[in-house]
Amino acid sequence: MAKGSGIIERSLLQDDQIMEEDNLVMDGIDISGRWNTMLKTRVHSERDLDSWDDVRASAIGESIDNCIQCGMCTAGCTVAHEVPGFNPRQFIYWVRVGRKDDLIKNADIIWRCVGCYICTNHCPKEVNTAEVIESIGQWLRKQVPEKMDQAYLANHEAYRHQLETYGRLSLPRLQAEFLSKLGRQKELFGPDLRQAAIRMLKDGRALKTLLIGRPRHWNRSRSVLMESGQT
Amino acid sequence: MQTAYFPGCSLKTIDRAYDVSTRVIAQDLGMTLVDVEDYSCCGAGELKGEGLKSHFLPARNLAHLINQGETEVMVSCNVCYHELSRTAYAVKQGGVHLDQIQSMLKAADEPQILEQPTVRNTLEYLVNVIGLDEIAKRVRVPLTGLRVAPYYGCLYQRPAKMLSSVQIAGEDTEHPHFMHDLMAALGATVVEHRAETTCCGGKNLLSDEKISGRLTGRILSTAKSSGADVLALMCPKCAGGLDALQFRAIGTVGESAQLPVMYYTQLIGIAFGHRPEELHVGDMESDAMGLIRQFLSEPAIR
Ligand code: SF4
Ligand code: SF4
Repeated sequence: MAKGSGIIERSLLQDDQIMEEDNLVMDGIDISGRWNTMLKTRVHSERDLDSWDDVRASAIGESIDNCIQCGMCTAGCTVAHEVPGFNPRQFIYWVRVGRKDDLIKNADIIWRCVGCYICTNHCPKEVNTAEVIESIGQWLRKQVPEKMDQAYLANHEAYRHQLETYGRLSLPRLQAEFLSKLGRQKELFGPDLRQAAIRMLKDGRALKTLLIGRPRHWNRSRSVLMESGQT
Repeated sequence: MQTAYFPGCSLKTIDRAYDVSTRVIAQDLGMTLVDVEDYSCCGAGELKGEGLKSHFLPARNLAHLINQGETEVMVSCNVCYHELSRTAYAVKQGGVHLDQIQSMLKAADEPQILEQPTVRNTLEYLVNVIGLDEIAKRVRVPLTGLRVAPYYGCLYQRPAKMLSSVQIAGEDTEHPHFMHDLMAALGATVVEHRAETTCCGGKNLLSDEKISGRLTGRILSTAKSSGADVLALMCPKCAGGLDALQFRAIGTVGESAQLPVMYYTQLIGIAFGHRPEELHVGDMESDAMGLIRQFLSEPAIR
């Protein structure tokens, strides 16, 4: 049997949080089997509250302090049902108690939030949970970009670059930039996308896309978007 | 009746089917749509990580709306609807965020937001402002016998407190029903399938192929196994995963995810007697065209 398989909501726990031996005798008593499943004691000796400071200071993360850790967000979360270890309630907890190591260890999981806002809708304390999770993801992107998924980074950068440069989104152009950032340009000419491209050339949608243009005096808006500072 | 309208980038380009069908039915219903001038992208949900700056693009559009002398705007795309509503909500909250939004607009030489804008979703607008009776009166080709599975996705009803569909129109956040009601008014058989508001994973459509394949696969196969002929959509981002990249869903869960997908506005257009070509039904990657042709040519299934 897999480690900790008797635990309810097992997928919400990390493997290394669970202690379980095949055979265990303590003080002369054999406690092999289910009774020797234990969770590691967590000792908060090292707190690093950077994440908390940053998240609550950001416009999208400022509601984090309303959280009462009730878990409604995780209960309804789309991704919690798909990705083991994805647990918005716990991410908020880690941020607030300064468990930077846990956040970083899960950098490749936290970004997988799909922004469905079920959590925000269910939260009884008016936490905008979806945006708090986004804010935590952004914090990680800035702290440990090397730990983040390449596709996530490419997606983020491609969107930002397209929006800043053109002020309007051309999806084929976005997809081309995304794929080339990952060195996957070839897929643009692969069977799936090529077929769609040919169809769009024929039916006039490709032309519409090319002619999308920019908003008037876009340069000024562009510099506002590119200015660093406010978060 | 004049109505301000915000189509947004994808409706202006590859999702023209949604834009054209919205315009066609609006005209039938006696509405005159006036586009928000000099539009920019709404941010597509992708700039939220930039914090306050994520309000800049929606605010720019809302400022243009107010500048045009309108305070209410109708939006078909659910992502634009969400982004514009989110910023309109920030405007309503006022305070320091609003000040910062206004100063960003000023720095960009754009007009200020001088009145409270109201953002309305086309679906909710059709049901509540135009009315189901009016819509039913225009039906020339009842969709009798066509089994339609309504699919709302996320952003039409979540987060509730920012959205007019819930706040003004009283849509149910857990079990929305305006599209159900609308399809019934067209004579269609409405299929309940319990994936009406499940997320398609659209935000990570490009970056997280595995999850998006699983989520879209589940929605399509749930609708299909509930007996649907077609899934009715209201969001171009959902269309990306459920229609354009349906092959990925099929690759993940199998043939059970193969299902024609259309915008609900196209179905209204068909019921109003328009030809499928006029509504760009052929733009859909799934075989919506085949289904509609068959439906129109075989009175037996009606
Ligand atoms: S639902 Fe709200 S209060 Fe409850 S744990 Fe999640 S964020 Fe915190
Ligand atoms: S927005 Fe993200 S964290 Fe919230 S329920 Fe959806 S996937 Fe989960």
